[in-house]
Amino acid sequence: MGITILRLLFYVLIFPGCLFVTAIGLLLAGIDRKVLARMQRRVGPPIVQPVYDFFKLLGKETIIPHAANKTAFLAAPVVGFVSLVVLMLFIPVFSFSAFSGRADLIVVLYLLTIPGVALIVGGSASGSPYAGIGISREMVTMMAYELPLILVLLSVAKMAGGSALCFSLSDIVAWQEAHHSMIAHWQLIPAAVAMLLVIPAEVGTQPFDVAEAETEICEGPLIEYSGAPLAMFKLNTALKMFVMTALFVALFIGGIDTGIVALNALILVLLCIVLTVLCMTLIHAVTARLKIEHLFQFYWTFVTTLATVSLVLVWLGL
Amino acid sequence: MISYVHFPVLAVMGIFLGAFLEEIFGVHNKAARQGILVATTGIAFLLICALVKPVMFDGEVISYWMGDHVPVSGYAIGIGYEIDQLGLFFALLVVTTSLLSSIFSLRYMERDGMLGRFYVLFLMLCGAVLGLTLTGDIFNLFIMIEIMTFAAVALTAFRGERGFALEAAFKYLVLGSMGSSFTLAGIALLYLQCHTLNMAQLASMLHGNMTPVSVFAFGLMLTGLSVKAFIVPFHTPAADAYAAAPTCISMMFSGMVNKAGVYGVIRLVYVIFRAIDLPAMQVLLAIFGAVTMFIGVTMALAQHDFKRLLAFHSISQIGYVITAAALGTTLGLSGALFHAMNHTLFKGLLFLCAGSVLYSVGTTDLDRLGGLSKKMPQTTICFLIGAFSISGLPPFNGFASKWMVYQAIYAKAVESGNFLYALITVVAVVVSVMTLASFIKVTQAVFFGQCPVSCAGAKEVPLSMRIPMWVMSALCVITGVFYNQVEAWFLRPAVSAAFNVTHYIDVMMGEGTAAAFGISNVKAAAASFSYWDPILWLLLFVVVMAATGIVIITGARERGRILTPEGAEEDGKYATFFSGEKSLPSHVSGSDLFWGFKHDWKSYFRVMQGAHSGIINDYALWVVVGGAIITLWLTVFVR
Repeated sequence: MGITILRLLFYVLIFPGCLFVTAIGLLLAGIDRKVLARMQRRVGPPIVQPVYDFFKLLGKETIIPHAANKTAFLAAPVVGFVSLVVLMLFIPVFSFSAFSGRADLIVVLYLLTIPGVALIVGGSASGSPYAGIGISREMVTMMAYELPLILVLLSVAKMAGGSALCFSLSDIVAWQEAHHSMIAHWQLIPAAVAMLLVIPAEVGTQPFDVAEAETEICEGPLIEYSGAPLAMFKLNTALKMFVMTALFVALFIGGIDTGIVALNALILVLLCIVLTVLCMTLIHAVTARLKIEHLFQFYWTFVTTLATVSLVLVWLGL
Repeated sequence: MISYVHFPVLAVMGIFLGAFLEEIFGVHNKAARQGILVATTGIAFLLICALVKPVMFDGEVISYWMGDHVPVSGYAIGIGYEIDQLGLFFALLVVTTSLLSSIFSLRYMERDGMLGRFYVLFLMLCGAVLGLTLTGDIFNLFIMIEIMTFAAVALTAFRGERGFALEAAFKYLVLGSMGSSFTLAGIALLYLQCHTLNMAQLASMLHGNMTPVSVFAFGLMLTGLSVKAFIVPFHTPAADAYAAAPTCISMMFSGMVNKAGVYGVIRLVYVIFRAIDLPAMQVLLAIFGAVTMFIGVTMALAQHDFKRLLAFHSISQIGYVITAAALGTTLGLSGALFHAMNHTLFKGLLFLCAGSVLYSVGTTDLDRLGGLSKKMPQTTICFLIGAFSISGLPPFNGFASKWMVYQAIYAKAVESGNFLYALITVVAVVVSVMTLASFIKVTQAVFFGQCPVSCAGAKEVPLSMRIPMWVMSALCVITGVFYNQVEAWFLRPAVSAAFNVTHYIDVMMGEGTAAAFGISNVKAAAASFSYWDPILWLLLFVVVMAATGIVIITGARERGRILTPEGAEEDGKYATFFSGEKSLPSHVSGSDLFWGFKHDWKSYFRVMQGAHSGIINDYALWVVVGGAIITLWLTVFVR
């Protein structure tokens, strides 16, 4: 009993919970910044710069605007952080899974919206008009990527389940071990591309960072944030990078199993770095920010078509 | 000690008696008025709750012949009440809603005149819907629908000094009467065919014996009841009526009046005609449900008024219920009933929050509200719980039921191989995100954001209005976290009652009747779902929250400082923030938060705006066309 509780606490607090997620998330954010800088022929900050930034912000004074609702303003970043960590506990690391037998695709889809809602509620609670515009854009972004995302998830579920309902993440990973990785099935390649395009919108990196848009609405929902709550929100962005790429790995590149948990985790981290560079840094380096209506159009036409193609192909049983 | 078989009829009679007592004693005397109101709704609540153990847990079906007119040689001649698990499930929703609404109305209605009349209609509405869920006689069901409709119309027009209340009541009157006429025509045709009005007997006689006339009657009745459930294209009076009626009535409209329509549809399709196993029937209802949820939510996104927005969300959520019920699977009907229950809870809660805002500020126009979270903190928390529930965020109840609905639809898709259901799953998820968007808009426009002058004097509402809100908030969380218990105690008996009609028939018409007509039980497979564990999720959430909390507390040196313009004068450090800068309001008004989205969808919204013309002739045409589609579809595909 005592051992079980200790093990659970280890899962929650160290691996794959708080500490692991935070460390890897910040690492990914650092690599993103460094590689981006190199792509733009800059020297760039050191890879640990996000860690420095995080601790620096923690030391700064927290100012609450007088128009703000204090409780919601301060609670929002914490709720976002906590739900991201809990979400990571439900995503299997190849064959290892802390609690992933207890969650399915729909649960993950909905847990993924909580950090976004936390950002929106926090921004809304700050009472600033800039934040008002920011949350409006954040919400439209969420509506934009949710349609392709559900199509991708349903294609994967259909592929793994055949003529039975298969929403469980660990079943999907197990299916990939028995067959091949999802990405190796040609019908799912459009869905994988769609998912890769959903990730930057979910994380909020350029060109899909309309909600924060520093140069026009001064980081939108974050405009009034300072000190520790701002540090939490910055950390949440870094965590989202890790959670989304890990979800991609679980859905499409599962089935690699070395039998050693530490090695599995290492492979996961390496894959996440590759995916981060591929779908966030690279796109960031070569594009400029979209307008919100263009972002919506992009997701509901181009990305949705990709995902729909996969869904239809899988349904036709090709 | 009266046996519990008398409880249902006592509950209904008690409420109707209360309505007459209100007219006699309550017109001038405030204490008598409020006493009668709370006593009757409270007694009905207790009587119906007392039935939970025998009916829900012990599986008994209560039959009650009025005046002891039992069937003569196999023909039902009297009016019979029959309370099975399905009926009791909806009756519980009705009595909960009426009790909470009556408590809320005590202070909410204090500024209105003619309250004696108001409460007569109020209790007539409660009694009619309760009687509708408990009756076993199809003509009695029609009577109850009529009382319900006319009480609802009169209540819609109650604040008639505002012109649009009369207009809304007129629309409701015309379309409601059309719905009732369709139902009555269907009942007449059925009586012509079967010479009985008892639902159990009809179910046994219609089994495997569907003539073209009875199919036509089925189509008419389905149309009539769909009008009562406000399914698209019959939804048009709902938006006006919900927005114009006093808020405690709007809450009852969405909590029980449209549930009465849903109950009627389920009872008709599952029990009386037992047509739910036909794929054509499933497709018809699923398409109507999907269209309903989509049009409801997109119309809600375009609204400027808090209550009107909630009204369109009611329509949209009923779409989920109908779609899930259309699947004809155990999981589907469980999801449908669960979502119907949750809709009663969270939409009731949201309407009460809207009512509180109206009570304290005097308007529900989203463009003129803002910043109420500091003036009305408790209402804000309740609203957020309701908004998160309806948007389906875990661990609130809306998530649990939507999750069951999605699973049911997609399971249906992969089992039947019908791609249509896969598309409906996608629509359902997208509608859920749009629901979230729409409630983010309300949160920003009403509770957060900047506080305009009109809201400066707002105060928290009185305790008697807060109690119903907190009760519903608590129920939203409890039913979401302990959904397994809700499923085992309430949903499973109700679902199995809907599928296994033999017991329903035998209890009413005598043992062996169902077997004599060759009816056997269809299926009672347990619904399978196990991948969502809200208690584990909450536990993990608490552990991580505690860990984060410890870090924050040990690390933080000072609490956040609240920055005000006055403070800036004393502390030169902040002067730059306020140096001559005026705090200007946002140029995006509260109702127009999603202009980016609306811009991309402008052609769709133009079509929708044209379709919702507000002209009653158009709406009546919609009902006729909708009815024609249903009837034609049934006569062609359902035999």
